[in-house]
Amino acid sequence: MGEETTTLGGIHVSPNAVATIAYQATLKSYGVVGLAPKNLADGIVSTITREPSRGIAVHYKEDEIHIDINIIVEYGTRINSVAESVANTVRFHVEKALGLRVSAVNVHVAGLRISDTD
Amino acid sequence: MAIDTTRVEKFRKRPIDGLAFKHLVEAGLTWLRTNQQVVNALNVFPVPDGDTGTNMSLTLQSAWNEVKDSGTRHLGEMAAAFSKGALMGARGNSGVITSQILRGFSRGVHESATLDVDAFIKALGEARDTAYKGVVKPVEGTILTVIKETANAAESARGSVKDAIELLEVAVKAADEAVKKTPELLPILKQAGVVDSGGKGLFFFLEGMLRHVYGESLETPTVSVQSLSAMGLEDALGDVEEGQDYEVVVDFVPNGDLDLHTFYGKLEEMGTSIQVGEGEGMYRMHIHVPAENRYVPIDYIMGIGTVTKVAIENLMAQMDDIQKSKASQIQFTAVEPGSIAVVVVSPGTGLSRIFASLGVAAVVAGGQTMNPSTQDILSSFENMPTDKIIILPNNKNIVMAANQAKEVTVKSVQVVPTRTVPQGLAAMLSFDPGGDVAAVAEKMIRAMGNVKTGEITVATRSVEIDGVTVRDGQVIALLDGKLVASSETVEQGALGLLEKADAASHEIVTLFFGEDMSHQEANRIADVIRGKFANLEVEVQEGGQPHYQFILSIE
Repeated sequence: MGEETTTLGGIHVSPNAVATIAYQATLKSYGVVGLAPKNLADGIVSTITREPSRGIAVHYKEDEIHIDINIIVEYGTRINSVAESVANTVRFHVEKALGLRVSAVNVHVAGLRISDTD
Repeated sequence: MAIDTTRVEKFRKRPIDGLAFKHLVEAGLTWLRTNQQVVNALNVFPVPDGDTGTNMSLTLQSAWNEVKDSGTRHLGEMAAAFSKGALMGARGNSGVITSQILRGFSRGVHESATLDVDAFIKALGEARDTAYKGVVKPVEGTILTVIKETANAAESARGSVKDAIELLEVAVKAADEAVKKTPELLPILKQAGVVDSGGKGLFFFLEGMLRHVYGESLETPTVSVQSLSAMGLEDALGDVEEGQDYEVVVDFVPNGDLDLHTFYGKLEEMGTSIQVGEGEGMYRMHIHVPAENRYVPIDYIMGIGTVTKVAIENLMAQMDDIQKSKASQIQFTAVEPGSIAVVVVSPGTGLSRIFASLGVAAVVAGGQTMNPSTQDILSSFENMPTDKIIILPNNKNIVMAANQAKEVTVKSVQVVPTRTVPQGLAAMLSFDPGGDVAAVAEKMIRAMGNVKTGEITVATRSVEIDGVTVRDGQVIALLDGKLVASSETVEQGALGLLEKADAASHEIVTLFFGEDMSHQEANRIADVIRGKFANLEVEVQEGGQPHYQFILSIE
């Protein structure tokens, strides 16, 4: 998917483009302080990344878009609510920009950032 | 509404300790809740956050639950508990930010036993800093800007304010101005002609505290402008007061900006049940006035703008009509904010009434021959103050429309794919408004399998299906959608159906009789069934559905 056929030819939206939309939406979501790349070898979160394709994975599966996001959350926020609103925001923005259905947004909370101690 | 100056003096003299703080936040929460719909109405479009007013209220409600039984006089401890409650109950984006603001605030007053000017300024600053820490790309023109401007104003007021109450006044004023500025910072808001909803919510929370100090009412939104469609004028008639005999509704375009405070003040002198609506540059004012004053509001409004339409009606006559029509109306379950609301499709008034008695929040009329549209289903729940909806389509042809309604709304909707009315009733029996919406829907799906559905109707053409031959005009019986018997009379059809359904091994049969059948006839057939199936308990209910003489639920 990410493809559409018009009378003039086809339109293909690359997963990377979708990832960029998701990236912008994620960073504007409250409570998210960064994205975490997944180190495939050991699955350990290494450093905070600014490169969208490293913290976000987009898969096309037939007619569906799946998005996986690895986020770092501010310590002291309600993690569930933050993750939920990331999923909602990302779905909303991707669907608005592409007009295609996002069937799943999986949010992985890879870590917390403690910016101060209570 | 005048400010109670002696009350304010008392507040000034008393230090704000934990208990006083508790009363303040309670007032803030109450005031926000009173204005919840005003905040909800500010949502620009189907933004993913849902209803900001509801989310913020629920977040603060959870915070309040944490402190309501607490008796500590230490401010720091009280604020810490309040902040903890907000964290636990944070809902939606705005709720999470609110919880962070409170967390910062509570850290700022951590060591303080009472709220003096310095502690207050420090706490607002901490609230601002904490709020900004939680996001990589802060969007200005939102609640973040409002807490920032409020904290900044408090810091610049250091030295010029005498006490915490004066500082609160400064904070509320700054919050108000910051909210008004949000459209300049966020283009989306400007396009929609609204201010930011989260910022407005925070403002109401702060203003509620100040109103508490002033001794002003927290229950009635004094200055509220709603969208024209939301004005619900009919309900405003419910509380006609003695002597207020005339209802006056004036549509007008004000000259320049309408000062709502002055406007409400003037109207309050004239009458009661005041409502003001706004849409597309036009305002609509609604008021109840005594007979002799019925032209006063019109004259007044002509002085401040151009009147486009006037309606005057005698309320006493109207009241009679409404009371009459209300008597036959079905009372649906009121929807609590945040709880699950069930919407059902029902083919008849009798069935609608039964559904209502089981806790359904809204009914969409429709059935076999009149399938409601996706829009019909959507509009039944869109304005409900909750985002958790369960739809029971109660007909196999409506399941799809229900699923489409689920696709196009931002609310969290579950469709329990009931294909018949008895399945819908069975599902409704296991409904729990407080649970998790997906889990509740799952329980309902399981419950709907516990019942068999029979239907008795008249064939509209001759046909042979499933080995049953039917002539046009004959009575036919369907069991779970399958044709199982044909006969000459409804009575035979019902007996044939129960035979096929192996009714003898079941316990209860409920007959919902349709609009073409009399209660006596239904009772007579029920007696015949009782005679034939001695072990069976037979109940008769008015269904009111068209075309189907009987819908049977077999349990």
